[in-house]
Amino acid sequence: MAGQQWANFLEMRIQSSTVVTLVLATCLASVALAETKKEYRFTVGPNANVSVDTLYGAISVRAGSSTEVVVLATLKSDSVEVDQQQNGNRIEIASHLLQGANELTGQVNYEVSIPADATLNLHSSTGPLSVERLTGDLTLEGSDAAVNVRNVENGHVHVRTMRGPITLTDVRNGHVELASISGDMQMKSVTGPLVQANSGSGKISYDGDFGSSGDYKFTTHSGDIEALVPADVSADFRAHSMVGRVQHDFPLESKHSRFPVELGRSFFGSAGKAASEVVLRSFSGKIRLKQR
Amino acid sequence: MTCSDVQQLLPELLDGAPDAAFQTAFNSHVKSCSDCSDLVSDLKLITSQARDLTAAEEPPARVWVNIAAQLRAEGLIREPETVPGRPVLVPAPRQRRWSPFWLAPVAAGVLAAGAYLVSHKTTTQVAEQRPVASPVSKGTSQAPETNPTDQVATASSPVAEVPVAPPTSPTTSQKIAAKSSSESKAGGAAPEASAPSSAEDQQFLSVVSTLPASSRATYQNELQAVNADIQETQAYVNQNPSDADARQHLMEAYQQKALLYQIALDRIQ
Repeated sequence: MAGQQWANFLEMRIQSSTVVTLVLATCLASVALAETKKEYRFTVGPNANVSVDTLYGAISVRAGSSTEVVVLATLKSDSVEVDQQQNGNRIEIASHLLQGANELTGQVNYEVSIPADATLNLHSSTGPLSVERLTGDLTLEGSDAAVNVRNVENGHVHVRTMRGPITLTDVRNGHVELASISGDMQMKSVTGPLVQANSGSGKISYDGDFGSSGDYKFTTHSGDIEALVPADVSADFRAHSMVGRVQHDFPLESKHSRFPVELGRSFFGSAGKAASEVVLRSFSGKIRLKQR
Repeated sequence: MTCSDVQQLLPELLDGAPDAAFQTAFNSHVKSCSDCSDLVSDLKLITSQARDLTAAEEPPARVWVNIAAQLRAEGLIREPETVPGRPVLVPAPRQRRWSPFWLAPVAAGVLAAGAYLVSHKTTTQVAEQRPVASPVSKGTSQAPETNPTDQVATASSPVAEVPVAPPTSPTTSQKIAAKSSSESKAGGAAPEASAPSSAEDQQFLSVVSTLPASSRATYQNELQAVNADIQETQAYVNQNPSDADARQHLMEAYQQKALLYQIALDRIQ
């Protein structure tokens, strides 16, 4: 008797599972069917200006043909549309939501290839935003969007997020300005005449040699700042945390300072030929300068 | 007189030392020390330019009143009570297009207010209060006063960590909890810091209330966090009015708030 009950129970469970699976498969199929891809191509000259703006969705940009901009848009549903416009060398791509669209159905993912020297403006609330192998000016904005910039040089790199993390890797000779309210910032091999990062509660991490000449200014309110540098780094360092602690683990050459030094809360000094100037400031975060 | 003496006493000495012999020693040192001479020149230049800057950047009050009236007339800003319940994100193009635009001037206003508060504190309190050497950590704890001899510590050798004020990085919720505490402890200063933006905060919250619940909560938390940062920094500045770095942090905290407004504006548009 008990065996029969157990068999019935198992049979019911299997039937239930089957129904659930079918429903899920139907839903996934309907989503997949609703998803559409659109491709746009624009012929451009040197120094084109490309903007991509979406509320929800990822934007990925990389260098491609020097005379063409190619945009592949994947629309998650018919609740969202893509507008595209070309005025001479300026390309504007924007997705706009229709009635009833939400974060899932309003999503458009973009894969874009542009001339390497183009100026690029990206905006997505959810992101992620990723850019690589470009030499033009970049402006990337998003509230929650994770931002990844890799292997770019010579241009301005301006990034701002609300809480999205920002990662820069192999950015050379850049004019870099990063701003976030609570997003973490990670820079690896980032150099240039100006590298400025400001986060409220996010952590700022730098791994590199601070280049051969440049201004590096990292500021947080409560986030920690950590810089990992090689032994042969050539920079003038100034670090100060109003309430937090500062620490460095390799010798710095003392120099005449115009600013008062508070032991444990600030340090000054130069390393190598002091080619670059590095300023690390925090209100209550901890600042660490470490040798790689 | 040493370089350290000059650095510490420079502001007073520039205005004229009370003792003639002291002034002579100061002048003599500055003539013989190129670093201190540069420092004095820089400070004089900054002081003179700051005076010009203040005069150039402060329009009469009627200008602000007229701007506000014009923005209201054009519907770019609204009174707080008219906003709740308005379907900002409904498809009606006019409402969706114009409702959040007040955020742009408000973001600028936040920065202007921050700049004003920072400069106002500088001009009024530097003269009234003596600098406090020890920073005040959040909450109730207060760091020990810095020994003047520490001021000339060198960086020639690796610096071991020195126990100082609690170095904890507060989370958002800790900041929010600390906000009410700091308000009561900072006396009249904290309300002064938040007063210029409280109405804007209400409008900000009204607008973001039209967003999905998860986004709304995020914006609310971030707003509270930046407000807590502003108040925390303001309290520090109040106790250390001559600390330029603290004032810079205060300005940056206001910039963070302006950034939040700007991001919200982009999100809602």
